[in-house]
Amino acid sequence: MIAGMFAQLGVPTDAPFAVPEVAWSALTPLLILIVGALALLVVTALVPRTLPVGFFTVTTVAVAAGAAVASLGSWDRVTDPDRGPYMAVAGAITLDGFSVLVTALLAITVVLVALLADGYLRREGLGAAEFSVLVLLSASGGVMMALANDLIVMFLGLEVLSIALYVLAGFQGDRRESQESAMKYFLLGAFASAFLLYGIALVYGATGSTNLGEIAGFLARDVPSEQGLLLGGMAMLIVGFGFKIGVVPFQSWVPDVYQGAPTPVTAFMASGVKVAGFAALLRVIVSALSVQAQDWRPVMWVLAMLTLVVGPAMAIVQTDVKRMLAYSSISHAGFILIGVQAASDRGTAGALFYLFAYSFMALGAFGVVSLVARQGDVGVDLDRFRGLSKRRPGLALVFAVFLLGQTGVPLTSGFMAKFSVIGAAVASESYALAMVAMLTSVVGAFAYLRVIVAMYLGDDEEMAEEGTRRVQIPAAAGLALGLALAVTVTLGVLPSTVLDAARDAVPARLSPSR
Amino acid sequence: MDNYLPLVVMLVLAVVFVFGSLVTTKFVAPSRPTVAKQDPYECGIVPSREAPQRFPVRFFLVAMIFIIFDIEIIFLYPWAVYHRELGAYGLIEMLMFSVAVLVSFLYLLSKGALDWGTVKKVSPLQPLRTSESSIRRVGLEGRPSRPSEVGAP
Repeated sequence: MIAGMFAQLGVPTDAPFAVPEVAWSALTPLLILIVGALALLVVTALVPRTLPVGFFTVTTVAVAAGAAVASLGSWDRVTDPDRGPYMAVAGAITLDGFSVLVTALLAITVVLVALLADGYLRREGLGAAEFSVLVLLSASGGVMMALANDLIVMFLGLEVLSIALYVLAGFQGDRRESQESAMKYFLLGAFASAFLLYGIALVYGATGSTNLGEIAGFLARDVPSEQGLLLGGMAMLIVGFGFKIGVVPFQSWVPDVYQGAPTPVTAFMASGVKVAGFAALLRVIVSALSVQAQDWRPVMWVLAMLTLVVGPAMAIVQTDVKRMLAYSSISHAGFILIGVQAASDRGTAGALFYLFAYSFMALGAFGVVSLVARQGDVGVDLDRFRGLSKRRPGLALVFAVFLLGQTGVPLTSGFMAKFSVIGAAVASESYALAMVAMLTSVVGAFAYLRVIVAMYLGDDEEMAEEGTRRVQIPAAAGLALGLALAVTVTLGVLPSTVLDAARDAVPARLSPSR
Repeated sequence: MDNYLPLVVMLVLAVVFVFGSLVTTKFVAPSRPTVAKQDPYECGIVPSREAPQRFPVRFFLVAMIFIIFDIEIIFLYPWAVYHRELGAYGLIEMLMFSVAVLVSFLYLLSKGALDWGTVKKVSPLQPLRTSESSIRRVGLEGRPSRPSEVGAP
């Protein structure tokens, strides 16, 4: 019956099935994440008693670190000029410097999130098994997006990433804010997915393929007969990705979702999810649709401009530190868009470096917020940070470094990151954007400096009333903060290694039909 | 462009249907709200008071089991029709898929998806959270009397 249906549709039924060659070695990081998550699920199902939180933390860190090492292991292979990037699974995925770097970065963010979540899950009494499995699966979706050389595969990766995150956002089901966060994220995420899918369909209609290499090749050879179709598809793709990365005017969900979600999950949203979303944007729009740059560059310019103005403007009026960091995350998305808008290899490298630097600063900043919060993830007002330097001088110093880094102070990674994207914008003659970026980073600095001033110059009255309870710093969270701090300072002083890697990590355009 | 005409028609029909129904309801349907109509729907029984304690909703776990096996069948059936052509490659892919599906089933079982009857283990409520959340403690003190009770005949 099915054969008859295929025959009616004109699908050849008697043609021998061409078995695609699955290069398992290319899929290693992805497989490590997925198999690790499934194995954890089996262990929790079979072991009759509840396993300690530490077990899941150690396993998640080991799995994610394994994925990062496996990914970086193929760096030499894909950046070797003789062998170069290659495709696997019938052209559905690409292994190039870009995918290797993004995969490794995603895996490292999972390591830090797992370390931060350790103490958090104990304090809040949440299920560590489900948390670990969902974070690993979500990261595997992000890796799929980074590897994808096909719009369908990219969409699948995005859904795997998002669906796990909807659950994670509502992980603290007893808290109304967490429920609200999950609901908002789910509704708007599904809405964005619909846009993305519609965009994919229109681009397929205009170019005749969902494979990114094929699309790039088609656009380089001929002009599509339906230019409107392609433009509509591109617009829908930009809307879809814009929602996921949270740029103005698609940012309305960001503050509520970031504030309501459990803080380690927020840290993952600001780091890993942004990395995956921008990776997809860079690969689809900047790389595959580079021929159409004159069409999408003005759109990106407007989006970047709006994001750069609205993000810091909203951040400076917040009194809740977690919400302020959410708005600051919007403004950082604007900075990364400057690199995207440049439509050059230099811009892509700058955006990648920015993602690398910002991920660690965001993880660190949200990590500090998760420690300062009381049980129930409440009490992250600015007042609570007042006089933190007297109670916890180390924690205050670390937080100050992350905030100064996000401001873009020299000797932190934030300075080099801002420098690299603004440099790329100037090289692409987007002078106005570069000017606005520099001005709004001064405006945004006020939001960060206000917290630092509160920590160092604020008096300690509230704490005296509250009694002797000090902010507890669990060992795992301390380790995570230390690692994030080390990266932030190292990238500020010696950025060359990562800058060079980002330069070598420009997406390759490979087509299976070549 | 002719190929896309059905798509456009579909899109227009969808929009017309949604807004058409909304607008028609607004103008055609008479608005006569009563207490019973505005109460939350509870299987036809007039709700007299809020549930005094948290009770487990087992239906969603059954629905999950259904979805798991539903999806497995969707993929297994075409594979079964074409398994000769797909050969060893198809078999390996199906096995990997089935293992992933079965792992999720195993997890559901361990969560007590098929345990019926009295609930043995309910996750303990944390006193700190209950005041913030929608969960109420057992008892009637401090509970507002419902307006529907006052106005009911």
